[in-house]
Amino acid sequence: MGCGAMMKSVMEVLLLLMLFFTAHAKEKSYSPPEKPTQTRCRSPEKETFTCWWEPGSDGGLPTTYALYYCKENSETVYECPDYHTAGENSCFFNKNDTSIWVNYNISVVATNALGRAFSDPVDIDVVYIVEPNPPEKLTVAVMEDKGWPFLLVSWEPPHKADTRSGWITLIYELRVRLEEEEDWEMHHAGQQKMFNIFSLRSGGKYLVEVRCKPDHGFWSEWSSTSYVKVPDYFHREKSMWILVAVFSAFIFLILTWLLHMNSHSLKHCILPPVPGPKIKGFDKQLLKNGNSDEIFSALVVPNFPPASTSKYEEMLVEYLEVYVLEEQELMLEESKDLLDGCLKSENSRSDSDSGRGSCDSHTLLMDKCGETKEEERQTNRESSLIETQGWKEEAINHDTSGRVKTWPSVYSPLPQYGSNPLDKQSSLETAKQHSLSTSSFLTQAGTKDALGPSYTDFCFSNKQNHLHPQTLAHRELQTRSDVNISNIGRKRSPATEYVEVQRVNKEDMVLLQPVVSRCGHIEGCPNLPKGEDYSKVKGVDCDNRLLLQREGTGEDVCPLVDQETNGEGGNCYTSSTVSTTQKPTACMYTSMPLQEETALTLNGYVDTATMSNLPSC
Amino acid sequence: MEKVLFAVLTLVYLEISTSVVSAPICSYGQAGCHVPSLADLFERVIQQSSRMHSVSSDLHSEFEQYFFPSQNLIGKRKCHTYDILTPEDKENAQRLGREQLTEVIVRLLQAWEHVQDQNQDFNLYSSNKALEISDILHELKDGVTIITEKMKLLGVLSNTVGYNSPESLVPSSTFYTQGDLDSMDHHDLLYCFRRDSNKAKNYLRILKCTTLPEPDC
Repeated sequence: MGCGAMMKSVMEVLLLLMLFFTAHAKEKSYSPPEKPTQTRCRSPEKETFTCWWEPGSDGGLPTTYALYYCKENSETVYECPDYHTAGENSCFFNKNDTSIWVNYNISVVATNALGRAFSDPVDIDVVYIVEPNPPEKLTVAVMEDKGWPFLLVSWEPPHKADTRSGWITLIYELRVRLEEEEDWEMHHAGQQKMFNIFSLRSGGKYLVEVRCKPDHGFWSEWSSTSYVKVPDYFHREKSMWILVAVFSAFIFLILTWLLHMNSHSLKHCILPPVPGPKIKGFDKQLLKNGNSDEIFSALVVPNFPPASTSKYEEMLVEYLEVYVLEEQELMLEESKDLLDGCLKSENSRSDSDSGRGSCDSHTLLMDKCGETKEEERQTNRESSLIETQGWKEEAINHDTSGRVKTWPSVYSPLPQYGSNPLDKQSSLETAKQHSLSTSSFLTQAGTKDALGPSYTDFCFSNKQNHLHPQTLAHRELQTRSDVNISNIGRKRSPATEYVEVQRVNKEDMVLLQPVVSRCGHIEGCPNLPKGEDYSKVKGVDCDNRLLLQREGTGEDVCPLVDQETNGEGGNCYTSSTVSTTQKPTACMYTSMPLQEETALTLNGYVDTATMSNLPSC
Repeated sequence: MEKVLFAVLTLVYLEISTSVVSAPICSYGQAGCHVPSLADLFERVIQQSSRMHSVSSDLHSEFEQYFFPSQNLIGKRKCHTYDILTPEDKENAQRLGREQLTEVIVRLLQAWEHVQDQNQDFNLYSSNKALEISDILHELKDGVTIITEKMKLLGVLSNTVGYNSPESLVPSSTFYTQGDLDSMDHHDLLYCFRRDSNKAKNYLRILKCTTLPEPDC
């Protein structure tokens, strides 16, 4: 143990020692120093200057550096007077040793035990190596110019530089930036020692620095930063915003006013009014004024309806065809003939479609044609209802079969009416009511099934019946409308009273009876029979005229209407309105001034005005 | 057409009315001319000297750029104005006094005027700037002369200031190699001119600041 271990340890130690020595031995390779390099020479005020050099490697031996210079046009070599003032590896030339406008030739020598090394010589003229110190006493103040702030920056030249005597002239430059930004804003100040900075941001914090340079030399370092905070001056901006707000409000008011002025036209533009129905010749203003005469005169269209028969025929649009039992079918055919007759018959004197109207008084046909007892009644209402011609068709019981052809008719006063003292308005109403009544009759007739043999009679009688021309004249316009019976209203509550055909007796007499039942539903419907409202059909005279009784007396029979003789429309109705107001005179046909009002209000049918005196047979 | 004519006439009238009456500048105060103040004169002269120095610097740097790429030029440089005693630091310059300072300036300028007259080759390498130099030189010298007179008038300057006769100056014709102009000589020429213009500028500034003392000189 001992020997080997001991030996080993000794060996280790020896090895270590050897390593040390070798390592140590490598470091120690001496050589002369390397050539130093001159970095720069600077003069801060053109009165002194300093030169710095960079030493090379020293070759492992302590090395000394020396600076030697010689002046222009002189062979004398001087050594640097001051190696320490300016720090390490530097040479400071004080005022006594500094000459301006003189060329210095400077070189640095490095010396160690093994040798020396000379740097490259450098020629300098102190005038051209001036690098002043930064400006001093930089102050920044926030000033105000008419409410707008600006920065007033002022500084002083470096204290060493003698600008006062004019020995050195400096020009300045400053830079500004906001605290949060990175880019500087440069300003050249020339030789002045103060500067104004405008266009500041309200409430911003600014950094200001300044530097200087002689007219031919190097820029100094930037001075120490000066901080300044611009106060918030939004009172200025506020006033601007107030101005903007006022201006915009003003414009808004103008726009509103303009809009208001043109609101009407705009409304029409955006929401065009729904066009209302226009009736040619109808003047709203007149209506408002209440002068109905003028209104209706305006409405009255001359030459209407067209006088020509052919045109008249064209106007026939629709008619109800009622299919009944076989009897009825016969009747139907007869009715058809009659109808044609009605159609063809014209009232030469007067309106063209009067005949038509008579055919259309279906209501009469429908209802209670066969009831005899009503026969006695004076059914006849004013005008159109009585139109017996009409009921010819209506006699067809549309209940049975379902198809009824009829002409619903609307009667309106013809221009010829003008001769009558009738009130036009009332006549219009009459006409309206006529149509309504007829149509309603139609429907109601449909419901009734009290049709029977009277049909035939009725129909026959129709043939013979003819409306008195005059009366026909009263029947004026008949307008046809395509009305499906089924559509016709039961919904309608037609005018009040009208005559319905009870039956047609053998003598071809139309027996009219008032429609009592219906009347009850209708307002203002006077109880039937009023003697005045209805006229009983007395009989048919030889001239195919229905003779109606007045006042329910039964004695007077006055033919009212000559149906056949009338023209087109086959006014198969008797103007039963003979009655209402007039006193019955025996066999006297009175042209009744249509007491339209009373008559019309009741049922609105045939206007009594149309009634004319029929010559007794 | 009439409107155009009217507009033209209006413009002409405005031009005439608003234009500054420019009277000839005269330093002797003759009638009818605008006499500038001493400060103005100094201002102008200093500007001129500054401009001269800039031009000379440009010439020199251009020359060096094209012909002497290496900066380390060691040459025995001698300027023909070497015998003109010029202060080489601030103390000496201030110690000199106004009169002598003025004299130095004038002598320098004169010397260089002479060189230029003699050496047409001054303009050899950069014609534009060289032409400029001759003009500036003349103006500068005239300006300094005027200032001197003005100062004498004002009593600021004593009458002892005199002009050296050209004969007293070193003949510049022999100083710089004539004829076959060596590039080295030309370089020296430019170098010397640059330096002397700097001297002139500096001396003028000192003169101004001592004659017209201002806090902000």
